Amino acid sequence: MDILDLGIVGYEEALKVQRDLLHKRIAGSVPDTLIMLEHEPVVTLGRIDDGKGMIDRSFFEDNKIPVISAGRGGQITCHMPGQLVIYPVIDLAGKKKDVSFYIDRLEEAASVALEQLGVPAVYNGERRGVWVSGYKIAFSGIAVKRWVTYHGIAVNINNDLESFRHMHPCGESDIRVTSAREQLGRVLDMAEVKKVFADGFREILSSGHLMQVA
Amino acid sequence: MEVTLTGISQDAKEATITMWCKSEGEKVVKGGDLVEIVTDKATFDVPVPCNGTLTKINKKAGETVTTDEVIAVILEEK
Repeated sequence: MDILDLGIVGYEEALKVQRDLLHKRIAGSVPDTLIMLEHEPVVTLGRIDDGKGMIDRSFFEDNKIPVISAGRGGQITCHMPGQLVIYPVIDLAGKKKDVSFYIDRLEEAASVALEQLGVPAVYNGERRGVWVSGYKIAFSGIAVKRWVTYHGIAVNINNDLESFRHMHPCGESDIRVTSAREQLGRVLDMAEVKKVFADGFREILSSGHLMQVA
Repeated sequence: MEVTLTGISQDAKEATITMWCKSEGEKVVKGGDLVEIVTDKATFDVPVPCNGTLTKINKKAGETVTTDEVIAVILEEK
């Protein structure tokens, strides 16, 4: 599995890279690839967003944070530097073709990586996302075309959480949000964080693991 | 051939149709995009299951369906 680290990048630009890679993966001209990046500040609305999650539009207008419709599943969320975003472009042909199962694996990989960093994160298929003591730390939302995945999961590492206070992330009013920095009381080295996540995602999203876990 | 959403996910029992990529009467090719659906956390482009003609669309965009419902019928090309 290749790793493509885009650094800090705008949402639209990253989407272009994803789509390009998606079509190449469908054509079989590139291997499975893990895109890792941090987005410039942006609010994204998933395909089932009902508008109820945006509770303070003026905050985002005042701070010049764009609100963009995204072609992924799920509802509203936000991205900003310091939050690690992982978009696996993986061909599920020959693996277990099951969308919920795949999202479980994404959330499992994120929770395993967070645990390695000292954050006691858990996931369960009942309520989507990755959680630390009742606080949500990672948010999933994917898309699948010809059984090739794109979009993925965003994990709060060092980012400021203020934007989340002006929305109901995922459209759910009872969600409280945290970050690895808040949990550990220190700023994490993003290069090290990316390495831990790359290793964890490679392990869990590898063909063997996706085949083995039924 | 009757088209259902079984096989997309064991857990998802229903999905919402967001967009048909083909119209009734149109020729379809196996593996092409037939319809886009959404579950709670995923969008999914359902591939055409066989070569043929899309003869019937049973569910319109915006409708929520269970995964075992027949959403379309394709007259298979032998």
